[in-house]
Amino acid sequence: MLNEERIILMTKMASYEEHEGRKNMAIGRYFRSDYIAVQVLKAVVCATISFGVLFALFIFYDFETFMQDIYKMDLVTFAKNALLLYAGLVVVYSAACYGVCAYKYSKAKKSLKLYYHNLKKLNSLYSE
Amino acid sequence: MTDLLELREKLKLFYSRNEVFILPIIKFILAFVVFNSINSRLGYMTGIDNIAVVLIIALLCSFLPVGVMVFLAALVSLMHMYALSVEVALVGFAVYMLMFLLYLRFCPKDSIVVLLTPLFCIYKLPYIIPVAMGLIGGPASAVSVGCGVIIYYLLYTVTGNSAAINTMGDDEAVARIRLIIDGILGNRQMMITLVAFTVTVLVVYMIRRMSMDYSWTIAIAAGIMVNLVILLVGDLLYDTNLSVLNVLIGAIVTFLAAKVIEFFRFCVDYSRTEKVQFEDDEYYYYVKAVPKMTVTAQTKTVKRINTQRSGGRNVTTERTSAPRGASRTRDYDNTRGYRRGTGKSVTIGSDNDDDFEELF
Repeated sequence: MLNEERIILMTKMASYEEHEGRKNMAIGRYFRSDYIAVQVLKAVVCATISFGVLFALFIFYDFETFMQDIYKMDLVTFAKNALLLYAGLVVVYSAACYGVCAYKYSKAKKSLKLYYHNLKKLNSLYSE
Repeated sequence: MTDLLELREKLKLFYSRNEVFILPIIKFILAFVVFNSINSRLGYMTGIDNIAVVLIIALLCSFLPVGVMVFLAALVSLMHMYALSVEVALVGFAVYMLMFLLYLRFCPKDSIVVLLTPLFCIYKLPYIIPVAMGLIGGPASAVSVGCGVIIYYLLYTVTGNSAAINTMGDDEAVARIRLIIDGILGNRQMMITLVAFTVTVLVVYMIRRMSMDYSWTIAIAAGIMVNLVILLVGDLLYDTNLSVLNVLIGAIVTFLAAKVIEFFRFCVDYSRTEKVQFEDDEYYYYVKAVPKMTVTAQTKTVKRINTQRSGGRNVTTERTSAPRGASRTRDYDNTRGYRRGTGKSVTIGSDNDDDFEELF
């Protein structure tokens, strides 16, 4: 005998598993600290590459002047400034990433909690 | 209004029944318009500036995820830039790379906005995107719209300076890079548009989430006004050669487009608003519930008469518009056989299936 309530619940859950759930389950497999640490690590890598791209653009923008001045300029100060900018970019971007990932994790956990609650409800519908 | 609501329900029904065909067709048309626009604007690489190539790519995009369309659009534009000059392609690649690494990897779904913003800018309707994203997106959409604006002005700078780049010699590679970077960073129109669109998205988003009546309409009007004011003040301050007539026409078109979005996403009847308050052990609740406007679409149902006769049945077809909670009868559905409960529908994959739009 078909149970309409059970079918509706199963359809909703199947749809969830197919779309949003897949992403949330991948997040839910991690502990909060592990998930955020991995994401922040990825953010550091991305920020490093981005800084490299920006630095290359900066150098190429005025390449001739840079090559002319390279022997005159204080390379230690230049490197110090570049490293300071790099550290600033990494810190700001990682902090933003931390906030976004913490929000994403809590949202995914809440959504998964609802999903597991529905699973229990479905189980109880079977045992009725 | 009832006719419009019925039309909406019919469109929804039609879409849900034929989603498998409609979605690829929409993607195909969008991809065709996007790649055709890129070719007509840039078109430096003659090998890919070909309608057959555009059709093949559009066909490919119709079956693949939207992210692939965005990737291919970036690739095609980079190929055109490469044909113009390697240095221009390097700057373009750097801009795309920065956008992907710093933002789009967080919101891959928003990549379509990055594609649509330049497209709407090309067709002189850029103001639709920030208002639409404020209505259907979140505050992060402001960054996506901003990325779209930067891409538009990157392509605009490349096309605007193509003649100068072509006349430069091989030993002026650095000058070419400088020309493009200066063209983007020194473009005041881009900066003003960037600020105007970002503020518009945030204003529309914040107002439409308020619990006041007609919040969506007020959000649309406020967003358009804010956008207009920032653009006009920017024009006065920095003389960006803004066409006031174009801006006004754009604002009217944006209002109409936004009202269409509102009709499909947030069609509620404020005259039947209910305000209730109650309490439990821990809280007092002040709830405002605004009912959604819904009309069940007319559906064709087949009624059997004289079912006892095996051959030559008399079958009549009639149009019915079954209200909610209509009497349960046994109806025949061509694909599913008999079913009970005319007009009863099951919403799949949506948590928002209540009759009321709860505001807080």
